[in-house]
Amino acid sequence: MAERPDRWIGVALDRQIKPGSSNPAIVGGNAIAVWRAEKGPANVWEDRCPHRGMRLSFGFVRDGMLRCIYHGWGYELGGHCASIPAHPDLAPPKTICANVYRSEERYGIIWTNLSESPNAPLPDAGPDQGWQSIRSVYVARQVAAVKGGLASFDWGGGRVEEIGEGAALVNAGGLSLLIAIQPVDESKTGLHVVAKGEGAKDAKARLAWASRLERLRGSIEAQS
Amino acid sequence: MAIKLYDYSLSGSCYKVRLLLGFLDLEYERHPIGFYPEREHRTETFRAINPLGQIPVLEDDGIRLRDAQAILCHLANKYDMSGLWLPRAPELYGLVMMWLMFAGGELMAASAARLHDLLGYDLDIETARRNAHAAFRILDDHLTRREIEGGTWIVGDHPTIADVACFPYTALSNDGGIGLEDYPALRNWLRSFMHLPKFDAMSGISEFA
Repeated sequence: MAERPDRWIGVALDRQIKPGSSNPAIVGGNAIAVWRAEKGPANVWEDRCPHRGMRLSFGFVRDGMLRCIYHGWGYELGGHCASIPAHPDLAPPKTICANVYRSEERYGIIWTNLSESPNAPLPDAGPDQGWQSIRSVYVARQVAAVKGGLASFDWGGGRVEEIGEGAALVNAGGLSLLIAIQPVDESKTGLHVVAKGEGAKDAKARLAWASRLERLRGSIEAQS
Repeated sequence: MAIKLYDYSLSGSCYKVRLLLGFLDLEYERHPIGFYPEREHRTETFRAINPLGQIPVLEDDGIRLRDAQAILCHLANKYDMSGLWLPRAPELYGLVMMWLMFAGGELMAASAARLHDLLGYDLDIETARRNAHAAFRILDDHLTRREIEGGTWIVGDHPTIADVACFPYTALSNDGGIGLEDYPALRNWLRSFMHLPKFDAMSGISEFA
């Protein structure tokens, strides 16, 4: 059974959700669409068109609306259906509405809270500015195994500190890595990683960290 | 003499060739093969054209070629005067070849999964999906590094036949029950490809991106 606890879960790097795009993700067994209009912040919705249940992550963005790939129904920010191409003269009833979840962009990461009454605060990693995206990696292990793997991995002298349930901070030689931990399902966990500090400013250094995260993924998956 | 393509509209491998013919603005004669349910590609008549019993096959000025990747090389080599689709620079050429082989090799697991789900082929679907995910991860890791370097395409600053060869079975992955949730760089590359001028969709691929 898909769970929707009251907490913030990182689901993507801000930089990888392009303007005018809709993207699929799974959070604790819940399918979501992470989409962005031609400009503005990312939105997180249930990945389901209210019309016929088609996944909205297969949809496309036009004129600030997310349109379903099936019949082109268009949903504006906030979730209300504003356009039904087969009935161009009809003002769609307000009851036709996509299921919208809370979402926030912070530290270069897109976070969502799927709870019906979200009250929990976002993980606190200090000031919002200056974070550079490294990459997302998806590890074919459940969250507990991945957290164990984060703790035992060789970060080059860095130490791992958990920030609440959904994030971890690594301090390694003048560089901070923030890792958002996304429970996908019983067998998979996503990690969304951003970095701050001198060692994250040039592309070469970020490439090296991206490679290191591939090794992290490999080391966790190598454990039975 | 006209270019002739032995083609099946739902084939991702034939689609590779149709895409490049379109990008290069080449006229061609399309000879449809009844792949399903007729299995015309496995008849004696068609095996006389390609003993492997596979499509696509391309005929051009007395040359008959099988294998989508070989056909892409031929078309780019002969007709792309810009040299961009098949770069000859030593620092690019080998990489393009490497990813072409990947498209005809590891990535074909995604084609197998699609043949199972779409046309009812009798094969080990779990193995096909697992191998397809392994290939997608390798491509996504590569495209992630390209993104960090400021690049968009698999090799170099312009789309090449490596992108053309890798696009179809990646874009058609959902036909084989393979989601792209774990591959953000790969999704963004697919979207960039679909925004190319003269891009043409096929059944199973949205015209909207």
